[in-house]
Amino acid sequence: MKDSILSASNLVKYFHEPETFQVLKDISFEVKRGEFLALVGKSGSGKSTLLYVLSTMDTDYEGKLAINGNPLTGKSQNELAAFRNQHIGFVFQFHYLLPEFTVLENVMIPALKMRRLSREEIETKAYGHLSTLGLQDQALKLASKLSGGQQQRVAIARALINDPSIIMGDEPTGNLDSKNSQLVFDIFRDIVAAGHQTIIAVTHDEDFAANCDRVLELSDGHLLK
Amino acid sequence: MKLPINYQIAATYLTSKVKQTIVAVLGVTFGISMYVFMNSFMSGVNEAQNRLAFSTLAHVRIYNDRPMDRSDIVSHVFPAGTIANIRNSKVIKYTDGIKNSQEIIRYLKTQPLVSAITPEVNISVFFKNVGNKVNGTLSGVDVAGEDRLFKTAEFMVQGSWKELAYRPDGIFVGIELARSLSLKINDNLNILTADGVSHTYKVIGIFRTNLSSVDKAKAYLSIAATRQLLAENQDYVTDIQINLADFKKANQLVNIISPVIPYKVESWSMANAQLEAGSNLRDVIAVAVSLTILIVAGFGIYNIMNMTINEKIREIAILKAMGFAGKDIRKIFLTMGTVIGLIGGFVGMGLGFLVSDAVNHVPFNVAGLATLPMSYDPEDYMLAFSFGLITTFVAGYFPSRKAAKIDPVNIIRG
Ligand SMILES: Nc1ncnc2c1ncn2[C@@H]1O[C@H](COP(=O)(O)OP(=O)(O)OP(=O)(O)O)[C@@H](O)[C@H]1O
Ligand SMILES: [Mg+2]
Repeated sequence: MKDSILSASNLVKYFHEPETFQVLKDISFEVKRGEFLALVGKSGSGKSTLLYVLSTMDTDYEGKLAINGNPLTGKSQNELAAFRNQHIGFVFQFHYLLPEFTVLENVMIPALKMRRLSREEIETKAYGHLSTLGLQDQALKLASKLSGGQQQRVAIARALINDPSIIMGDEPTGNLDSKNSQLVFDIFRDIVAAGHQTIIAVTHDEDFAANCDRVLELSDGHLLK
Repeated sequence: MKLPINYQIAATYLTSKVKQTIVAVLGVTFGISMYVFMNSFMSGVNEAQNRLAFSTLAHVRIYNDRPMDRSDIVSHVFPAGTIANIRNSKVIKYTDGIKNSQEIIRYLKTQPLVSAITPEVNISVFFKNVGNKVNGTLSGVDVAGEDRLFKTAEFMVQGSWKELAYRPDGIFVGIELARSLSLKINDNLNILTADGVSHTYKVIGIFRTNLSSVDKAKAYLSIAATRQLLAENQDYVTDIQINLADFKKANQLVNIISPVIPYKVESWSMANAQLEAGSNLRDVIAVAVSLTILIVAGFGIYNIMNMTINEKIREIAILKAMGFAGKDIRKIFLTMGTVIGLIGGFVGMGLGFLVSDAVNHVPFNVAGLATLPMSYDPEDYMLAFSFGLITTFVAGYFPSRKAAKIDPVNIIRG
């Protein structure tokens, strides 16, 4: 059996605005290394909220979270930032790029921050990801000058640049047409096929979910088994 | 570009909104150039004022003060309760002038702070030309020494300063004194001393110091001729005038020499407290005005940085989501502030110099000046630069701290 990459135990989260409201209700699950996991559920069921907790960006929850054997609950914001930089790649529900930087720079920034490779190596790698995503000719354009679907693919390239253990996507194919959705799905498949990286993706796309290794369904803050 | 990523991000933010950056830089530039200009101008005014004042005032003066009050001498000598019967008491003549002047001058020459010394014999006299009579000061001077201290040769309107040394019958008069007594070169001028001695000299020169109190009531004679007029010996001196390499050390010199010298030792600042007060007040005004400008510029930068951070709040959240720590974000925005401060600082020093130079060329024909006075002190420039840098750093620090504290989820969740 493969080892566990992520373990969530008894996650509980409340929102207090406008009134106290429980979004996540005692959620526990494990994710194996190399797994391709889909997170589905109705709109408002708490998928994005759960993903932000798993991504370590949201620290306002109860329960315990560990990734790669590192207990992350209770760590400081700065420690978590360094952890995210190295271990987690994130694709947002809306394509959040830095508009004043070129596509290439956007992809390179997390790697330049990590400083494990030289600038030249990072650039080569970034070009590699951009061309698999069909964006090599857009590399030197400003990120703000791209279409929504193109921006979403740049965000995916950026999530991959540091070879993170887990890639989390909040509807990573939400803004893409069926051809590009298929392209992204195939790339994700290739990534997990290598066996070192894990993908957790929130999706509304039934085909996408059906082709994943496992599907977790959220309903009203509960995890359906 | 090979900069570390935080600096590269700061550089991109600075260059992608050039207009905003220029406005911020101009704020600092203006503050620093005003600081440079105000301080240079005020020091220029102070220097001009000092030059004017020190054209007749020595840095330190030694003279024989009036004798102490002797009206109740009995109580100093006899125990209290003694009955003394003294009728028609008289104060015996008090010796004026400085005894042992040679010895004192020799001692002063050993002092490292002293740069020049000259003895003088100053007396009150009446200047008479036929019917007209004006009272004033007759100054018997060591011709070479006086010029070394006060550059008196430069004041001569007619005649040559050196000539006084060779002409025991010659006298130099102030320009307004000459006018009020209708004197021209080679006219005769009669002097009447307090002791009733009268002597006539020939006017061989006219001077203008631009201090009207001097120009209308002073005349120069050689020190030997003055001693002769008073029938005093060759050692007789009423004042010893001393200049220092640095006039600000006058009080220090006074503290060193006054315990040794049995006469009144007075520095320029004791004699003319208003001079020092005026110069200090001008310094305070210059600093107050320029600091106010810098603070206003600082608020400008603070606003621009705050605006930038509010605009970029989503990008800051993304950077944090991708693994940038609070201190990276702070570094990005502090770098922006510091770059604005550095550019504004250098441009500001240049502009400050240009403005100072322009004002220095404005004609100003008062009190011997040709143009408005200006000083060019590197220290003023360095101070302006450091104040500018501190201001931008402080103005950038608080917004950047706010940016560092941004919680990424709240922003990204939307
Ligand atoms: N910042 C917030 N404050 C208060 N309530 C919130 C906040 N964000 C989300 N919620 C609520 O929490 C619940 C879960 O929201 P979440 O965004 O996780 O849903 P989701 O499953 O991702 O939906 P979708 O498929 O539409 O993206 C919703 O009822 C939402 O209204
Ligand atoms: Mg969502």
